[in-house]
Amino acid sequence: MFKPYILENMEFDKDSLYKLGKLSKIQIDESKLKSLSSDLGSIIEFINRLKSIDTENVDPTSNSLDQSLVMRDDIASDVNSANEILENAPQKELDFFSVPKVIE
Amino acid sequence: MINGWELVIGIEIHAQVKSKSKLFSSSSTEFGSGPNSQVSLVDAAMPGMLPVINKFCVEQAVRSGIGLNAKINNKSIFDRKNYFYQDLPQGYQISQFKDPIVGNGFIEIESEGQSKKIGIERLHLEQDAGKSLHDQDPNLTFVDLNRSGIALMEIVSMPDMKSPDEAVEYVKKVRSILRYLDTCDGNMEQGSLRADVNVSVNKPGNDLGTRCEIKNLNSFKYIHSAIIYEAKRQIRLIESGENIIQETRLYNIDSGETRSMRSKEDAHDYRYFPDPDLLPLILEDDWIKKIRSSIPELPDQKKERFIREYSLSEYDSSVIVSDKSTSDYYEKVVKDRNPKLVTTWVTSELFSVLNKKNLSIDESPISPNHLGELIDNIDNGKISSRQAKEIFEEMCETGESANNIINEKGLSQISDEGELEKLVDNVISSNPENVEKYKNGKDKLFGFFVGEAMKLSKGKANPKVLNELLKSKLNT
Repeated sequence: MFKPYILENMEFDKDSLYKLGKLSKIQIDESKLKSLSSDLGSIIEFINRLKSIDTENVDPTSNSLDQSLVMRDDIASDVNSANEILENAPQKELDFFSVPKVIE
Repeated sequence: MINGWELVIGIEIHAQVKSKSKLFSSSSTEFGSGPNSQVSLVDAAMPGMLPVINKFCVEQAVRSGIGLNAKINNKSIFDRKNYFYQDLPQGYQISQFKDPIVGNGFIEIESEGQSKKIGIERLHLEQDAGKSLHDQDPNLTFVDLNRSGIALMEIVSMPDMKSPDEAVEYVKKVRSILRYLDTCDGNMEQGSLRADVNVSVNKPGNDLGTRCEIKNLNSFKYIHSAIIYEAKRQIRLIESGENIIQETRLYNIDSGETRSMRSKEDAHDYRYFPDPDLLPLILEDDWIKKIRSSIPELPDQKKERFIREYSLSEYDSSVIVSDKSTSDYYEKVVKDRNPKLVTTWVTSELFSVLNKKNLSIDESPISPNHLGELIDNIDNGKISSRQAKEIFEEMCETGESANNIINEKGLSQISDEGELEKLVDNVISSNPENVEKYKNGKDKLFGFFVGEAMKLSKGKANPKVLNELLKSKLNT
């Protein structure tokens, strides 16, 4: 059920690269295609080398620190005013962030 | 079954956790505040901010898991679910994928008069997104991040439901359980509880069909009609030789149709991975045990107890316990009173007023104490049930107590035998002909005498005492 994305046997052909670019909202320049493919290809090759290690009896590691989550109490505090939180917004209307129309 | 096709339905419920602050930040979760007034730097995904988990939200998830008869996992992991959308400033939602906080469970629903088990696959904690407003400006979408980061419990069912009715019963039951546990307020209009419904159709005995997911249904009515529309659409496509494409669809509440949600085309590629900002969540057995011991009586248990203690019918009991506030109200009224009378007054008179005025029981114009007082007056014969209805109506309008209205209007019933005897004698002596006919066998005239006596008493005579008196006088 759990399939870490990059660990799949993924060929970094043109289509996969464009798809990854689209998902990451990165525009991929035609001229960079070749170098990107080979860079990503070598990363995958490195990961694949790790896959040859026998991890049969090892629990998956989600974090390299041997500690667990520290929890805080449920106390609500006044954090920021709308003005403060919108201060860095590239575009705002009234007290909202505004973006080009998104059509559902 | 629709035209020989079987329906298979699975449901994901998103239930907002009832907490004061958000899942990973201290901003308030209060509904209805001004836009972007409850947004911390974490919620706005400012660089360098780190999430810190809210212990109470974790507790609420565990409590809900116990209420769903589910396994509580001692270790769970938070993952990043990556997608781009304007109301998700992080560019990913913190969710749980492979190791959720709650595993397998089940609930029981009523289906066609029988009890049916519906499996729960999991419950996990995740962040809610912000809110987009598309209708404020012709060229812009507005974003409010107040909801961003509020804790949600996603409750995933097994595909165990076979009809729209079962689907609605399932959501109703989960909502009821969460409200009993006080882990989610269940307010569907405000979006505190919403359902994504997966529907597929197949011929009996055949493999399951391809499913479509209808997103964000926030009323029982919409869940019901969206499933019917979607099943019929799929059947129509298959019967005309086309294939179903697995996709996410939106339900249009105005047209009652579902349509493809193209923006989610790439959405299934979420590239989940463990969130490096968050360590594994470890829950000690003792802590889980402590929560388990604080679980209140849940609807199924309460239903059984009401049947046992108050001799309610199955039906009345399930109606009363389905909503926690209703059952609380009922128990306040029924304490030390005649359960039969209380049940009738709550389920018929009170419910019909609430329905008419479109009020919830928490907004009832009549408090449990006031209704109890009214019922006391009926039970001890001070007022007739006809008078009680009048007083009840007046109580609804004015909020006055039953006793005040009875005193003010001089409404109390005449039960005094001496006083009633005078009335009866009066009626008999002024209608000698009818008395004669009655004595000669015209039994039907009895009602006439009751009517006359009632008239004389201005409707205040206690009908039971009056009947007895009339009978003994006329039959001698």
